[in-house]
Amino acid sequence: MSAAVTIDNVVKDYGPVRVLHGLQLDIREGEFVSLLGPSGCGKSTLLYCVAGLEQISSGRILFDGRDMAALGSRERNIALVFQDYALYPHMTVRENIAFPLRRLKVDRKTIEGQVAWAAETLGLAALLERMPSDLSGGQRQRVAVGRAIVRNPAALLMDEPLSNLDAALRVHMRTEIKRLASDLGLTVLFVTHDQEEAMVMSDRIAVLSQGHLQQFAAPMDVYRNPANRFVAEFIGSPKMNLLPSPDRADILLGLRPHDLTPAGPQDGEDAFSLAGTIALIEPAGPQYFLDVLVGGQLVRATASEIDNLSNGSEVRLSAPAHRVYRFDVATGDAL
Amino acid sequence: MIADETHKQETHKQTDSRPRRRFWSRGPRPPLFAYLAVSPTLVFVALIVGMPLVYSVWLAVHKANPITRKNTFVGLDNFRFVLSETSFWNAFGRTAHFVGFSLVGTTILGIAIALVLHEPFRGRGFMRSVMLVPWAMAPVSIGVLWSFIYAGDIGTLNGLLHDLGLGFLATAWLGDGNRALNLVALTHVWNQTPLTALMVLAGLQSMPASLHKAAMLDGAGPVTRFFRITLPWLKPTLLFVSIIATINALMAFDIIWIMTRGGPGEATTVFAWLGYVYSFQFLRFGEGAAMLYLLTGLSFLMAVFYVLVLGPRRSRHQAIPAATALDDDVAVRSPRPYSIKVPPTREPLVSPALRAVLARLGFRALVLTIFLWSALPVMLLILMSITPASDLIRVPPSAIPSALTFDNFRAVLFPEGGTTSVQAKRVPLSLLNSLIVGAVSVAIALAVTPFAGYVFARWPRARLFQGGLWSMLFTRMTPALTLVLPFFVIYRTLGLIDTHIGLVIAHLSILLPLIAWMMKSTFEGVPKSLDSAARIDGCSHMQMMLRVLLPVIRPGLMAAAIFGFLVSWNEFLFAVILTSTPDAQTIPVVLSGFLAQARFHEYGPMFAASVLSVLPPVVVAFVFQRYLVEGALSGAVKG
Ligand SMILES: Nc1ncnc2c1ncn2[C@@H]1O[C@H](COP(=O)(O)OP(=O)(O)OP(=O)(O)O)[C@@H](O)[C@H]1O
Ligand SMILES: [Mg+2]
Repeated sequence: MSAAVTIDNVVKDYGPVRVLHGLQLDIREGEFVSLLGPSGCGKSTLLYCVAGLEQISSGRILFDGRDMAALGSRERNIALVFQDYALYPHMTVRENIAFPLRRLKVDRKTIEGQVAWAAETLGLAALLERMPSDLSGGQRQRVAVGRAIVRNPAALLMDEPLSNLDAALRVHMRTEIKRLASDLGLTVLFVTHDQEEAMVMSDRIAVLSQGHLQQFAAPMDVYRNPANRFVAEFIGSPKMNLLPSPDRADILLGLRPHDLTPAGPQDGEDAFSLAGTIALIEPAGPQYFLDVLVGGQLVRATASEIDNLSNGSEVRLSAPAHRVYRFDVATGDAL
Repeated sequence: MIADETHKQETHKQTDSRPRRRFWSRGPRPPLFAYLAVSPTLVFVALIVGMPLVYSVWLAVHKANPITRKNTFVGLDNFRFVLSETSFWNAFGRTAHFVGFSLVGTTILGIAIALVLHEPFRGRGFMRSVMLVPWAMAPVSIGVLWSFIYAGDIGTLNGLLHDLGLGFLATAWLGDGNRALNLVALTHVWNQTPLTALMVLAGLQSMPASLHKAAMLDGAGPVTRFFRITLPWLKPTLLFVSIIATINALMAFDIIWIMTRGGPGEATTVFAWLGYVYSFQFLRFGEGAAMLYLLTGLSFLMAVFYVLVLGPRRSRHQAIPAATALDDDVAVRSPRPYSIKVPPTREPLVSPALRAVLARLGFRALVLTIFLWSALPVMLLILMSITPASDLIRVPPSAIPSALTFDNFRAVLFPEGGTTSVQAKRVPLSLLNSLIVGAVSVAIALAVTPFAGYVFARWPRARLFQGGLWSMLFTRMTPALTLVLPFFVIYRTLGLIDTHIGLVIAHLSILLPLIAWMMKSTFEGVPKSLDSAARIDGCSHMQMMLRVLLPVIRPGLMAAAIFGFLVSWNEFLFAVILTSTPDAQTIPVVLSGFLAQARFHEYGPMFAASVLSVLPPVVVAFVFQRYLVEGALSGAVKG
């Protein structure tokens, strides 16, 4: 079975540069956790530390309560799917998938059975004798996953495994991976910088910024109750609008464009509202994005209809009061 | 499900296999400019490589009567004669021994050195330069150095043994036949290992780091990873390295000339030497040429053999069963058949901290070993050059000089100052000659080959260019000995013996193919869109080359210039055969002259001259290490 992974106050320095600043994550057995953050925030580094490929500078990493400090990456029984897949270029697909089993000195019959199962599960049965160079990107990605799941890893780590695929395949693969992980009860640490990917796949999302953990919560929690200004701006597309509060200088108001719509008669008394001039209307399929100039600042809003709106026309925007976020100007924390 | 993507790819492959074009029109037709650009190089090569080769083929099928000077056509008789000679087959055995020894030695040492110098550590760049020194040195200087180290009464090795109180072990190291062959091979290994190391290093640098990480996580230890990941990754490099190392070992000539001249007895008479003996000592040109062509054939066969053994592995394409897993969405998945348990981990024997310390110490020791292996002999050479000449012929010998002096350098640099040595007086002029010949050859080669390299890189499938390229490669497999004989004969008639221009032409026969090949590799790294951009911006083809492409490949030109100069500076065979007076003799020739005269009191000046001869290559190795690595990457691999 997979293990519960505890990342306890982990610090990682590269020489004088501190890359991870005391991260604290408790990941339950069988949980699917995404690590989300901008480029260079330390996501890959954290994965490598968990896998034992990098030594941590201080803190502890525990699998099912057991400290991994003394164990090298060979002994930790971790599977990692690399961003470039790291398929062994001189081995066939079959040999690639069988490689970890060979190292465990498993008998041949078991290896054959496992490889056949992995190939069938991932739709690779017809490709087993191919060399990696003769595979498409999506096929390579599946081989990498196959290699990771033929044994029972304590945890499956994935470092942006989908970022090299085209959009349609990416959407397809994320459900596949999610399903496979839950079928096998795998503990998964999934690195991505695509927030949509993180939202749909994860049980919980850990948002990182510059080596600091910003928030660790369920996807909708992260979206609806961002812990601070960074999370609020990073999650959600288009980005959240931040406006100075009309009454208090030490507070910023946050409004998601999707919550901010042209005011209608049905708005309640307590609704938050703004008035401005429309600068631009962008059609975006199911709705329109409106760029509205409010007191010298551009604010994004959405509208489902633009019948009586046009560039330059005055508009009043409103949002339900419970969808207005408040942040401390100085600390950025949500209030 | 996932598998539909597979399906797409299959169909895509089918539609992609368009009917083949007619075989003679491969790819787009090259413009006139391409033909014009490539022609100077091809014409040059045809003249100075092709013509001599044709002449030597003619020699191989004729028998010359040295007295009447009449040639009679004898068909393949010369080959038949050579193949029936026992001396040929004996030489064959020795050649096999020499090549085997060299190949195993350079490969193992080269890989080991590359693995160490691939790791990041402080002073790595410096160590890479040090590592290159034995290879940058001229084989003649190397021969001079090592033959003195191994020499009987007065050699450095024996001196060292005496100093250590082990005098009873001292012996004439090159006196025993079998040992002599091994020691010459070892010297060749010392000279050639950096080349292997350099290319393996390049191979290692191109290996994605994630491969080893993945293998580590898959439970592979360092040894397994070396054999299952690193070595297979290096296979293409090793293929190339083996071919080059084999050719260089088959053609090894300079070192043998200096160290043993085929002796003692015939103990170090390998193929190349036998061919030389037949051609230039017995003056049996026909048999000599036949022998050298057999050598070429052997190089070629070995190359083919390596390609077959080490060539790339291909997918075995399976017939795809019509309905397996190709339909979307398998609703119910079969469960994983086995649950693989990882054996419980033992606590490590040594603590990680102690292990890290031990690993560091071991690594330092390896770096130190590489330093000593590469630099110690060179430091010895320098030491000997500042040792009083009388010390060098002490009996019993000692490696420790009684005093340090610059007299030897004074003797070779300011011969007017009253040195008695004839040979020492020749050194300054020979240094100048080497400089002139090297500079002029490189300048000419760089003036024409970039254009050819560009054409080879851009129209690799056009018939004519492909042919040109292959013939360039073929010249690499031809021993210089094959060319030198026709050169000698032709030069004698044209009065080009003992001239700078004669040597420049001879060196161009090596440099043109070599540098053209380098230029091709360099241009292959330049995106084609740059050509188009320049053309769209209104450049003519010529302007495109001069204004855009040549500036872009400046590092490559630099590498080629350095390589070419080193090759010319170190070249010995042409220089020694095509010169007979000091007028045009280059430094390797004068160095070898010291040995031929064997006057004991001249050893001091000889070592001073050796140091002067290795100075430019060593400086180049240090200053231009980066360019040399680049050069090795682009296939400049002349011994
Ligand atoms: N070997 C190293 N030496 C020094 N600094 C490093 C090293 N590896 C990574 N870093 C630094 O650590 C920081 C985090 O890197 P990391 O690769 O973990 O980022 P990431 O979140 O995975 O980014 P990306 O999304 O681009 O992959 C970066 O600032 C990077 O420059
Ligand atoms: Mg990363």
